[in-house]
Amino acid sequence: MTAEMLKPKFTGARVSRLEDARLLRGQARYVDDIAVPGTLEVAFVRSNRAAARIVSIDPSAALRLPGVRAVWTFADCPITIKNRGFQVEQPVLAKDEVRFVGELVAAVFAEDRYTAEDAAELVQVKYEALPPVLDTRAALTDAPRRVHAERPNRFYHKVHETDGFQQAFANAPRKLSLTFRTNRQTGAALETRACLAMPDPASGRLTVYATHQSPHNLRAQLARLLDLPENQVRVVVPEVGGGFGIKAMFYPEYAILADAARKLGRPVKWVSDRTECLLADAHARDAVHELEVAFDETGRILALRDHVYGDAGAYPFLGYSGAVGEAGWATDMLTGPYKIPEVSIEIDCVFSNRAPTGPYRGVGGPIGAQVHEGAVDAVARALGMDPAEVRRVNFIGPQDFPYETPTGGVYDPGSYRESMERALALVDYERFRRQQAEWRKQGRYVGVGMCCFVEPSAFAESEAGSIPYEAASVRMEPNGTVTASFGLGPTGQGHETTMAQLIADQLGIDVRDVVVLHGDTDSAPFGGGTGGSRSGTIGGGAAIRAGQTLRAKLVKMAAHLLEASEEDIELVEGRAQVAGVPARGLTLRELARIAYTDIGRLPEGMTPGLEVLVRYQPPLAATYSNGIHLAVVEVDIRTGLVRVLDYIVVNDCGRLINPMIVEGQIHGGVAQGIGSALLEELRYDGDGQLVTTSLMDYLLPTSHDVPRIRVEHLETPSASEGGFKGMGEGSLIGAPGAIANAVSDALAPFGVFITELPIRPQDIVHWVQTGA
Amino acid sequence: MSEVQTKVRIRLRVNGAEHEVDVEPRWLLSDVLRHQLGLTGTHVGCEQGVCGACTVLVDGRPERSCLMFAVQAEGHEVTTVEGLTPAEGLSPLQAAFQAHHALQCGFCTPGMLVTAEALLRENPNPTEEQVREALSGNVCRCTGYQFIVDAVLAAAREGRS
Repeated sequence: MTAEMLKPKFTGARVSRLEDARLLRGQARYVDDIAVPGTLEVAFVRSNRAAARIVSIDPSAALRLPGVRAVWTFADCPITIKNRGFQVEQPVLAKDEVRFVGELVAAVFAEDRYTAEDAAELVQVKYEALPPVLDTRAALTDAPRRVHAERPNRFYHKVHETDGFQQAFANAPRKLSLTFRTNRQTGAALETRACLAMPDPASGRLTVYATHQSPHNLRAQLARLLDLPENQVRVVVPEVGGGFGIKAMFYPEYAILADAARKLGRPVKWVSDRTECLLADAHARDAVHELEVAFDETGRILALRDHVYGDAGAYPFLGYSGAVGEAGWATDMLTGPYKIPEVSIEIDCVFSNRAPTGPYRGVGGPIGAQVHEGAVDAVARALGMDPAEVRRVNFIGPQDFPYETPTGGVYDPGSYRESMERALALVDYERFRRQQAEWRKQGRYVGVGMCCFVEPSAFAESEAGSIPYEAASVRMEPNGTVTASFGLGPTGQGHETTMAQLIADQLGIDVRDVVVLHGDTDSAPFGGGTGGSRSGTIGGGAAIRAGQTLRAKLVKMAAHLLEASEEDIELVEGRAQVAGVPARGLTLRELARIAYTDIGRLPEGMTPGLEVLVRYQPPLAATYSNGIHLAVVEVDIRTGLVRVLDYIVVNDCGRLINPMIVEGQIHGGVAQGIGSALLEELRYDGDGQLVTTSLMDYLLPTSHDVPRIRVEHLETPSASEGGFKGMGEGSLIGAPGAIANAVSDALAPFGVFITELPIRPQDIVHWVQTGA
Repeated sequence: MSEVQTKVRIRLRVNGAEHEVDVEPRWLLSDVLRHQLGLTGTHVGCEQGVCGACTVLVDGRPERSCLMFAVQAEGHEVTTVEGLTPAEGLSPLQAAFQAHHALQCGFCTPGMLVTAEALLRENPNPTEEQVREALSGNVCRCTGYQFIVDAVLAAAREGRS
């Protein structure tokens, strides 16, 4: 028996991950690792025009290539994704017209991928150019044309204004305005998207392996598009190499693969290459916020006006547009951790001839945080106050919870000021300010930036699942080990460990005696998948409740067999025993054997077996994590390069299930945030061509770019089962704003204030040289 | 492009074993390892030579198997993550990765292990900066690198003790 087994509780402990061994040994199976005999490989012909009419598609040369089995255009696969909510239809293969570079035009099926790619190059597509819609402002008035002839480009318009806004804004003693802009980025999971679809000729069922965050959602979408009953479709999500939101979406490739498997009668596989990922995985963060801030001489912010322009790209995703989702989240969270009473918000989202936008970790959260934290720092600069002091003036206090925001959210308790004070102590803020002044005299430009964020999590609705509950199926096998199954869609978050920790604690067994299954719609209970930082809180709540239900049955059995009262039975280290009299007990293994195979000994009326299915819905529509990111950066004013010298995160996500996993999530989000702030940009040229189509152009942070990150936890529990709050996105919500403010602070002597991300070295050099 | 690609027979030495395989001269080493030899522990993340997920050892030195043709590997000793893995359990470096939570989705992990193994063979006593330098050609999108660096430094300490 190891020391770990003797620990009374796994919840809250730094338990090593149960999924690691197979990943470390190179034995994990991602989609492309699954080899099915007879598989055809797919390569796609994608549009190389942003906007054009398709004059003709000639596949004849491709079809003559040995090994090519089929070339499909829309006529062969006439499936159209009908997005009724957005009044837009998207043919899975372009029909008559292409609307972005990277849009699918034809699919080539061949005996191997090399042949498929050769053939794709031989497909002749003739285009007639159309003027591309690339300017968001012009697009609002349908200039130069409509992306979709049947509907205006502006497809979403929303206005929200609090009753007292006009008066508060008009009477405010001070005002300032800022335009924040974020440029396109993408999740860039290291495993590219992939799909393997195969028919089962015997049963007629269709099996689809896919890299996805929500297996049941994908099954429902495929069944609907292919007009199949859901029980005729099996979706299996094997190991997934990162998701970050991009893999929560439905993509046209999946419908084509599923249709091809049925029509061609063979397994078909497609694995995206990196260029395809950058062209057509969900893009994100394409937004402009025109912000006006009304405040007084004490630094109190009285009102915010925000006009948001979002670029949705050529199509919404099925049921979800990134532009709408981001603008909604950013403005819902516009007042962040501050008691700003009045807001006026206007949102306009347009279609354009760029790739569709969808979710990327944090969705609009990073933008919203950059906006409210930029506003606070701008107020501080305008008044000559310290940025920390302006935050103190405005924080929502402990006495204010539950706090209703002017945008309609209700915050449960958090640690807003406390987390900032802790971070300031960790960096020794007063000393830093003195040191900074010294460095400036020496020509070193070092700055500190803060981003205090509130992270909504575990929503009643999210882009991944749109269901407010999760299910846990927990079964104790006849030998006393446990198999649990969830409808979650982990992509590296370690659910096989965290869910096992929660269940093991309820049953008094070793965490390694719990196997957690997920990803196969044939065995998993219906679930919403993973997204919106919902799995730990909602899935974890389901795990606890299911464990409790199973525990109650074991206790009832043990009380009956040991002739004791149920209140006296405890489950400890794999045994059910009478409290205080450990000798009077039974192993769970023995209880499990009785429950399945010796059922005459069960209490009267008890059903055989040890298996429960429990659904859990948290009491609140969302629970709000919070925290602060504090970055210290040095800017080289000759090269424009920014180096992160120190990085502190104080994070409050309620009760922790596994601090080690939480810290891993935070580190990863900070790295992505550094990428968002300093490196990552999907750039289009004036013709609508994406010019960042490799990882040499789209720069991901490396081990040189990401510093050592100091993390501390505060724990303000939620009202959810276990007291957990979601935390998968907060780290990327906090980081870009912290870096932006740190660079502004470093370059304050030059009057520079950062409002656009990413921050490019050439811009820094330009600002410093021109004093702009 | 449209002419039929003829295959050639090559002899590959991978993880100490000899393999005879028929390959097209243009096939990447990464593809042949994964799909001809079934060594799917080597992952392909970009095929652009940037992300490092496909890193293998060629004569003990880390190389990107997506930037080599399989025919170029003839006559050389190739080692993949499978070749660094004991028959049971984990190698000291792998165990350090688990203990320090140096992996999340696991996709970059084989490339990280191969690169770190080569570093520790060459420099059993690296500084943090040397570890970061050695790993700077391997992209991880999940961990922010800190726990990977910690794991490599811990494995180095273990190796010395």
